[in-house]
Amino acid sequence: MSLAFDDYGRPYIILRDQGQKKRMKGLEAYKSNILAAKAIANTLQSSLGPKGMDKMLVSPDGDVSVTNDGATIVEKMEIQHPTAKLLVELSQSQDAEIGDGTTGVVVLAGKLLEQALTLLDKGIHPLKISDGFDRACDVAIKHLEQIAEEIDIQANDHEALIQAACTALGSKVVSKRKRELGKIAVTAVLDVADLTRKDVNLDLIKIQTKTGGSVEDTRLISGILIDKDMSHPQMQKEVTDAKICLLTCPFEPPKPKTKHNINISNAEDYNKLYQQEQQYFIDMVKLVKNSGANIALCQWGFDDEANHLLLQNNLPAVRWVSGTDVELIAMATGARIIPRFQEITPEKLGKAGSIKEVQFGTSNERMLVIENCQCTKAVTILIRGGSQMIVDEAKRSIHDAICVIRNLIKDNRIVYGGGSAELACALQVLQYADEVSSVEQYAVRSFADALEGIPSCLADNCGLNPITSVAQAKSRQLSEKNPRIGIDCMDLGTTDMKEQRIYETLSSKKQQIQLATQVVKMILKIDDVIAPDDY
Amino acid sequence: MSQFLQPTILLLREGTDTSQGRAQIVSNINAVQAVADVVKSTLGPRGMDKMIQTGPKVTISNDGATILNLLEVVHPAARVLVDIAKSQDDEVGDGTTSTTLLAAELLKEAKPFIEEGIHPQIVIQGYRKALELALEKLEGFSINISKDSKESKRDTLIKCAQTALNSKLLANTKQFFSELVVSAVEKLDPNILDRDLIGIKNVTGGNITDSFLVDGVAFKKTFSYAGFEQQPKRFENPKICLLNLELELKSEKENAEIRIEKPEEYQSIVDAEWALIYEKLEIIVKAGAQIVLSKLPIGDLATQYFADRNIFCAGRVAQEDLLRVQKATGGQVQTTVNGLNPETFGTCGLFEEVQVGAERYNLFKNCPQSRTATIVLRGGAEQFIQEAERSLNDAIMIVRRCFKANKIVAGGGAIELEISRFLRHYARSVTGKTQYIVNSFAKALEVIPRTIAENAGLNSIEIMNKLRQKHAQGGEEGRWYGVDINGASGVCDTHQSFVWEPTLVKRNALCSATEAACAILSIDETVKNPKSDQDTKMKPKGQPGRPPMGMRR
Repeated sequence: MSLAFDDYGRPYIILRDQGQKKRMKGLEAYKSNILAAKAIANTLQSSLGPKGMDKMLVSPDGDVSVTNDGATIVEKMEIQHPTAKLLVELSQSQDAEIGDGTTGVVVLAGKLLEQALTLLDKGIHPLKISDGFDRACDVAIKHLEQIAEEIDIQANDHEALIQAACTALGSKVVSKRKRELGKIAVTAVLDVADLTRKDVNLDLIKIQTKTGGSVEDTRLISGILIDKDMSHPQMQKEVTDAKICLLTCPFEPPKPKTKHNINISNAEDYNKLYQQEQQYFIDMVKLVKNSGANIALCQWGFDDEANHLLLQNNLPAVRWVSGTDVELIAMATGARIIPRFQEITPEKLGKAGSIKEVQFGTSNERMLVIENCQCTKAVTILIRGGSQMIVDEAKRSIHDAICVIRNLIKDNRIVYGGGSAELACALQVLQYADEVSSVEQYAVRSFADALEGIPSCLADNCGLNPITSVAQAKSRQLSEKNPRIGIDCMDLGTTDMKEQRIYETLSSKKQQIQLATQVVKMILKIDDVIAPDDY
Repeated sequence: MSQFLQPTILLLREGTDTSQGRAQIVSNINAVQAVADVVKSTLGPRGMDKMIQTGPKVTISNDGATILNLLEVVHPAARVLVDIAKSQDDEVGDGTTSTTLLAAELLKEAKPFIEEGIHPQIVIQGYRKALELALEKLEGFSINISKDSKESKRDTLIKCAQTALNSKLLANTKQFFSELVVSAVEKLDPNILDRDLIGIKNVTGGNITDSFLVDGVAFKKTFSYAGFEQQPKRFENPKICLLNLELELKSEKENAEIRIEKPEEYQSIVDAEWALIYEKLEIIVKAGAQIVLSKLPIGDLATQYFADRNIFCAGRVAQEDLLRVQKATGGQVQTTVNGLNPETFGTCGLFEEVQVGAERYNLFKNCPQSRTATIVLRGGAEQFIQEAERSLNDAIMIVRRCFKANKIVAGGGAIELEISRFLRHYARSVTGKTQYIVNSFAKALEVIPRTIAENAGLNSIEIMNKLRQKHAQGGEEGRWYGVDINGASGVCDTHQSFVWEPTLVKRNALCSATEAACAILSIDETVKNPKSDQDTKMKPKGQPGRPPMGMRR
């Protein structure tokens, strides 16, 4: 900030470190904010749609990730500009709430800001613009609800759900296998879904990745997969009709938590101590064995002595199972977590059809699969793929698909994708614009233009001519009164998205438009930026 | 000649900056103007927001007190403004921007007098007199709502909350939020109206209208250990045990050391430790508790123990949340379980763990002694929710005040203009210099409607003329004319268009603005000590808390 002088020529220092602060006001502030936000949107623009491209991001540590998931891209870009950060949060909040459509929401916000910039140049007050956007948003949402269709998620072997999952997976690197992966995602969600309460606890779906193999090898395990192996290589690799003992205490002599010293004064005592320790191990194994358990999973480590004893007693065991896994296993097998050997009782054991150690490829890595659990509520999706990057991206893609399915279970209304829903809303908003008598009319009209930006961006990414294809789709929507006409991204020869079966959830679309409008309104309301002048 | 021989007397430390006299007052006034200019554009329903970056943190706000606080004002006179904004915020919670503007405008009007050589004390006296009259009139004009029926009172409160929300980000959903706020405040004990008992929780994601009110307490799922998921997540009329106690297997005393002489004794020590924790858990279970909440950690052992017995538990509950649960459920926080009495347990209609956005929340609903409420705010970006929280805070304070004071006036600059008209009229009957000063006070009041009009992009001169004309008619007719930002004419009866504010806000604003102006006018010398050595050494390193330049943030 520049210095101010009073009437007598003396400079003021009003704020701390005044010289080091930068201040932007009025039009300059709007424009700088809008340009920063637009820059983000432009980066993401090319990732939109089924033919969207991926971004390669290198972290400060040199880790490389390749993705086309909007939320992940903006998160890894480590954006510093305060306004641009708002868009990052926008994308993340879409991710948190819906899980899908994170690119679309940012692109839409960018389009809206672009329109706002031209309106600002016309001299329209920023709050009038945001009022207009708000009204247009309401109209668009209402129209979306009108054109939305309810689908029967049960019908035809959950065909609708699979299609919706395919739409979500269509833009990702795994799109070649979208049908298979979609089916996996649908089965996984249905396995854990509570259809009466329409609730899905995503914590119950575990996604495990393992490099090697190809994406086709990805499979669903109706049980739990843990990245551990038996504590002793000679233990049996498979247990059928497993009775699981879940322990949260180590196979070690118990230690008091209070600091303690043992004073051994003679050899006799020393021997006694040794024997006592041995006795502990024997007791422990006996307690487990007596309860009828035929496998022990432990959250902590084993003493070598104990490991040996376990093997001798033919009791397979797994050590260092993580806390979350312990919980999942407990839920799935109906086991109770046991904190002390003395408390092991037969009722507390969990039951599973089989537990086996599986090996992947030629590598030495092994994993444990727990299947046919007593109260199977937890499932695992094991993702395979050529490289770490592909596996990671596949994981994100499947997560998106799972979210879409969950949203459909919660609310089974859908709209059609391919930009058709946006176009239909744009037409409706445009019609509404003429009914507005005040300055807001311009803003409402611009909102419609911004909505059209989405299909045009889709077309652009697919190598179509954006202007021609959007114009065609628009005129057909109007002449045929069919809100399902969109952009034929996959070159299937039809622009009717119902025939192409591009399903998107209503909740996701609604959220996209609402969140984007909200953030744009917030950016438009800032007329003054005070920041340290060092970036 | 003797005066030339007088030795120099060093009174102050070297480097001390002193300035005095009239120039000092003028300089202070200018500094205040500069600060007030920053917040000026946030006033009114078309007021804009400020984005302030301090270190890595970015705040977007429309709240006068928040902005001034973040500006880090160091000028001593200008700090007075920051202080009155803060006091307005503490006292009434809203109207911080108008207080600041009013104080600055009063000083601006006083500047020509000071420059012309009128003694500051005369100005101060004049302002005080004018304030006295203004407050008297304010009381006279305000509308009493205490006799209104309950429904119409609620209606009034909603209107007041809406006025407070008008200039905020939430303006478009003000109907929704004002009702939310009024319902929340109505939940409180009408005699105390403790603000702390309304909790606001932020969850990013979702639309802003997905926000909801819980008539009870809500807090985020705390850190949990394995076994937590096996606990039941829903209770009707549960018995809630509140603790300030660690339920973990650990050493009783930090520095204790045990010497074990014989190997046989070893097991007994281990058993003793387990017995201690099991004893505690057993007492809780025996007492019949169904939900156990503790301020301190509840370990994995206890979690699993409770899970086995169908009890829900949550450790590390934040102090304020625990306090609110206590108020809402009528329980008492225990620091020990010895002699745990079921009478100290609280209860509520329904306890549930629900998914809100990406988070899970514990909700305690339908509490019997529900003297507390929680608002769960949803919204797109973190900053958005934070600003929404500040706005709601203002609205809550306003409703609370209104609930107590029962008196309202019309906003939109109407009340200021009416007082201004009265003071102008009165000034003519005064003899002496005071006449000018009372007149200036009247003129300064006009800054509020003028700024509202300016911020809305209206022609402020034209609007002020229209308003003055309406008010000059006198009587009830033109009394409540204020700035209308939506209509074509730019003015309207703000009482009829329901722009209502509690009288208390205005009263406090007038008082503290005048006080601040008088305080600044009465300063005629500033002695500023040089920065202490320690401070100058710190300087080149930059501010504490801000990482050095070039570092990753």
